[in-house]
Amino acid sequence: MADAAAPRTGLLRSNRRILLGSLSVLAFFVAWQAVFLFVPLNSLFLTKPSLMFAALVRLTMSGQVFFDLGASAAPFAYGLAASVLIGVPTGILMGRRVRVGLALDPLFTVLYASPLVALAPLVVIFLGVGVTGKTFIVFLLTVFDFVFNAYAGVRAVDPLLLNVVRSFGGAEKDLYLKVIFPSVMPYIVAGARIGVGRALIGILIGEFFAASEGVGYEIVRFGNFFALDSMFAYILVVTLIAIVLTQGVRWAERAAFPWRVES
Amino acid sequence: MFAQGVVGLMSAYIRGRNVNLTFRPPNRAPVRALHDFDVEVKEGEFLSIVGPSGCGKSTFLSILLGLIKPDSGELDLHGRRIDGPGTDRAMVFQEFGLLPWRTVQHNVELGLQLKGMPAAQRRNVAQHFIRMVGLVGFESHYPHELSGGMKQRVGIARALATDPEVLLMDEPFAALDAQTRDLMQVELLRIWHDTRKTVLFVTHQIDEAIYLSDRVLVMTKRPGRAKRIFAVDLPRPRDYEMRVTPQFNELKLEIWRALEDEIAV
Repeated sequence: MADAAAPRTGLLRSNRRILLGSLSVLAFFVAWQAVFLFVPLNSLFLTKPSLMFAALVRLTMSGQVFFDLGASAAPFAYGLAASVLIGVPTGILMGRRVRVGLALDPLFTVLYASPLVALAPLVVIFLGVGVTGKTFIVFLLTVFDFVFNAYAGVRAVDPLLLNVVRSFGGAEKDLYLKVIFPSVMPYIVAGARIGVGRALIGILIGEFFAASEGVGYEIVRFGNFFALDSMFAYILVVTLIAIVLTQGVRWAERAAFPWRVES
Repeated sequence: MFAQGVVGLMSAYIRGRNVNLTFRPPNRAPVRALHDFDVEVKEGEFLSIVGPSGCGKSTFLSILLGLIKPDSGELDLHGRRIDGPGTDRAMVFQEFGLLPWRTVQHNVELGLQLKGMPAAQRRNVAQHFIRMVGLVGFESHYPHELSGGMKQRVGIARALATDPEVLLMDEPFAALDAQTRDLMQVELLRIWHDTRKTVLFVTHQIDEAIYLSDRVLVMTKRPGRAKRIFAVDLPRPRDYEMRVTPQFNELKLEIWRALEDEIAV
């Protein structure tokens, strides 16, 4: 009997992260649902999980969720791509050229710390409610994640490795290709992990202020209609996407850098 | 008074004359690292340089490697002026200097790749040297998966792969534990015997210097200059028992006496 029980315990033990984690999520939804057994539900102000999931199924079946996700995905991707393309070279330049670093570091630190989302209404005025405006907001919110991570990455480059490449006759180009880019890479991916979360916020903010489609737009629109079940369905969708994206980056990180020491 | 036996013994292969270097760090007092440093090395010779910490011995290797330019002085290798890095020299670094994102195989290939050798040929050459340093089976390991001794084997293979005339070794075994160090010394002598490179070996350890070398150069404290050169008359191939012979210990004592005055605690 004890022999049969032992491996079961082992299985439970090895999966306890997932089990306990899921349990608390489940408990949260159950508690949320249960509250309304005792409290009358005023659907103008609140919703409950059963209604939320029903709305989610409805919106998924009609395809509306996918339409809005598509509308939000484009500026999300463009904004992040622009951040990588501009932020990474800027950060590397700051790290490699001391004077550029000293000149830009304070300015960028202030900008990074400031609530750039507050500029969203201005951005909408200048760039409109379309893809361009949303892209720019995402860019504003994420570019410094890449700048500062690339900057930190370059400063962490081991000078010995640069000397190794130089000693074998490597030129400036080789320093970048053989040492600087590979050692900055993990920092950029770490920047992406933070950036993905901030980009999602950027998209939502952009679509809250002015948009005609997209996930953030629907959240506000359903809110204005007091259709809280649909509004929460969209919030759930955003949450799920945030989890998938950040976990995806984590997974990609482990897959792409097998040389990193496991800590 | 002038360092005896430093200059003009033999057909010089590497020749350094009056090499001077002063470091000028910003906002700090300049540091004179080398002062009229002279050295001559024969082709195929194994020469060790010992000296107190900070005497400029590692700096001299960096100058020979071409990474640092001296303020003045002459440096020739085989009659050619040393002016920047070149494929005729390769360094084995104290802290290994392996690229952590490259496997053993690709680390060994680094110098060949920078020389522009085609991939297929690179693989073969690297394989040869991986076998020489005893790392067959570890080709696809990353540096963090290797022990210190294995890392330095990769460092040696990488340096040898480009087929340099001169191997510069900057305290290559200092980061290893005592037993690994002894083993690596034996291995190095075997490899040196097989490849017949000229070796300049910087170390703190007198034992190591005697055991490996044809001659041992003792440097003064900073600003470093050549103080004395000792010929090691132990026969080759060397074996471990030689380290406990009276001859070995007498030489060790003599070198220690030359070094003693230079060491400030």
